[in-house]
Amino acid sequence: MRRILAQARKELTQIVRDWRTLALALVLPVVMLVLLSAGLSLTVNELPIAVQDLDGSLASNTFIDAFRASLSLHVVAWPVDGEPEAALSANKARAVLIIPPHFGRDLARGIAAPVQLLVDASDANTAKLISGDASQVVSAFNRQHARSAQTAPVQAAVRLWFNPGLSSNKFYGPGIFVLGISMFPPLLAALAMAKESEQKTILQVYVSSISAHEFLLGKVLAFMAVALGEVVVMSALLFTYFGLSFAGDPTPLIVATVLYTFCVASFGTLVGARVPSQAAALQAVALGGFLLVFLLSGLIFPIQNIPAAIRWISNIVWGRYYIEIVRDALLQGGGWPAVWYKVLFIAIIGAVFYLLAWRGMRKMQVNA
Amino acid sequence: MIVRLRSILARVFSYRMAALVRKEFGQIRRDRRLQISLVLPPVLQLTLFGFALSANVTNIRLAVVDDSHSPESRELISTMTQSRAFRLAGSYLSASQLGDAVSRGDADAGLVIPYDYARDLVRHRPATVQLLLNATNANTATISRGYALGVLQTYNAALLQQGIHVQAVPVGSSDPSLGGQVDLQPAFLFNPGLVDSWFIVTGVLGLLLILNSSLVSSAAMVREREAGTIEQLLMSPASTTEIILAKIAPLFFLLSLMMLVAIGVIRFIFHVPFHGGVLPLFLGGLLCILSGISLGTVIATFSRSAQQAQLTSFFVNPPLSSLSGALNPVEAMPHWLQPLTVFNPVHHFATIVRSSMLKGSGFADIWPNFLALFLFTFVLVALSVWRFRKQLS
Repeated sequence: MRRILAQARKELTQIVRDWRTLALALVLPVVMLVLLSAGLSLTVNELPIAVQDLDGSLASNTFIDAFRASLSLHVVAWPVDGEPEAALSANKARAVLIIPPHFGRDLARGIAAPVQLLVDASDANTAKLISGDASQVVSAFNRQHARSAQTAPVQAAVRLWFNPGLSSNKFYGPGIFVLGISMFPPLLAALAMAKESEQKTILQVYVSSISAHEFLLGKVLAFMAVALGEVVVMSALLFTYFGLSFAGDPTPLIVATVLYTFCVASFGTLVGARVPSQAAALQAVALGGFLLVFLLSGLIFPIQNIPAAIRWISNIVWGRYYIEIVRDALLQGGGWPAVWYKVLFIAIIGAVFYLLAWRGMRKMQVNA
Repeated sequence: MIVRLRSILARVFSYRMAALVRKEFGQIRRDRRLQISLVLPPVLQLTLFGFALSANVTNIRLAVVDDSHSPESRELISTMTQSRAFRLAGSYLSASQLGDAVSRGDADAGLVIPYDYARDLVRHRPATVQLLLNATNANTATISRGYALGVLQTYNAALLQQGIHVQAVPVGSSDPSLGGQVDLQPAFLFNPGLVDSWFIVTGVLGLLLILNSSLVSSAAMVREREAGTIEQLLMSPASTTEIILAKIAPLFFLLSLMMLVAIGVIRFIFHVPFHGGVLPLFLGGLLCILSGISLGTVIATFSRSAQQAQLTSFFVNPPLSSLSGALNPVEAMPHWLQPLTVFNPVHHFATIVRSSMLKGSGFADIWPNFLALFLFTFVLVALSVWRFRKQLS
């Protein structure tokens, strides 16, 4: 035990000495949390929509006012004689609403008045949001103004659970928190381990009295400490800037966090033991930690949207389970019944990583 | 002037220059990792991002509580689950059981039909059903709410046709001044099939060009320094300009080939149409590569080893990629961050690519983005040459 702690202390000293790695460990995750949550969010506000009013009547003005009042749309001016599509191809607006002549007359006569909405669908998701918002504005307008409007027989009372404000930060915050933990601690661990074999200091380890498990556990413990430090810093941000709080029983999250830091620290050590050069180890972790957790863990988009040919990979992506646990603890509050097997999976994957790293260490001696 | 120009040209195409370029090519040929990072990222990242990042909302798991147990309620359930958007994930006996299922993650949405549903409809009273949505993912929730309301609207229209009219006293201060209804007819331009991947891959192209160029060039630039051969280069008769040019030219050539591969993937795997000319695309891409190379060079001048250079790029890449609007619309960012995208070359390139490929815009529409991209490239190249010269001397 004493030897494990000594080994861990040695690692931590090495981290503190290099400003680059220290900043990487503590500052970068916070910066990433703020930036990425902004860079991934899909809930849009104030989308520019151009209105071409060919009628110019009182009715058309009332109709445009309904769009002006919308929070998600932002009416921008567009000349009546301008080509409507030009507003889209010049990126001046995301959609153009065209009110035809005789709009007001048709409405007064009780005829259905068609209005065209041209949506820039080069961004398919935003296009769906725009057309959904616009049709909600129009149906509200119809309900309020049309005499012949019929009450719909079946009405839905929609309740949004867990995130009634539809804040995308509350969804992406926990995800990017997991991404940070999955990336930076293993990066540092891999660098430290690859350094031992690059600088041949691993030979000193072999001649010392420390056993392989003690050496590895010391390393893993040090990077678990780094990861837990990140957890503290980033969750401070989650609870303040992102406005999250525990939705239910926090114990699954606490247990899973400790296991997950073990898992990622072992992953880093494993890569460092297998890949002899620091630069290559860095790329391997960046690829494994970042690409897998970023793309195949449900961080941004639901896993069921991934094509089936590669979807199965997400079952062994460790970050996936942790993301689900964090989201459950901070948003849904399902507690142990909802997540117990996910905690178990993290423990199993972590143990596998550790054993592989241990086997990799035996090879390091031969290579050194 | 002409004499001066000629002397510069003579220097550029000199024997010395050719030898230096050949040396760089030789070094790249022997560096396996560099070669891999020229071919693998364009193919792998584009296909992975393009296929895996899809905001499409289909197969929402709908849990149902049917307290009405009537033909009418069963019809509503089957109308909901017949659409591609929803599929039935189970029936529950009470609303609290359904709530548990949603928080356990067994269902994404819940529909509660009250016991008086059929009776209300028969008596021409409006019936209200409850729709619960797991709104953890705000985007999915917004879209699935739209789907659900759309399905309900169609269902209502069918009911009205069957002659089920309801009378309701209007609530609030409505102003029934107009006779007719507004009929909104949306048309989706440029991407009528609403293919998600078109947006993603055109954004990833810009990220790829700048980030990969900077990665490759910083690795190539730092190598001389790491190996200590930079002094030998300085001792040679080659001038600093020649050294820099000879370093950049081969990388520029190879990265341009990478761009062609990437554009091929976009065109032939994702079937993104080319509505505009290819000229804006290529020109913008070359500017991007150049600014990426310059960025890598600047990073390399601040680092002593390849590993340090890579670590430094961890500080540069996240803001560059997340504040670009490459993977999401700029309007989705917080207000205080939106102006920063103006200073991001990736943002301008993504706009150029999407405008010229999908919308068919010409230079007349996107010249501001070109100007911005050109300015960035110019500043970055100047900065990198200055840093590199300083390091050499």
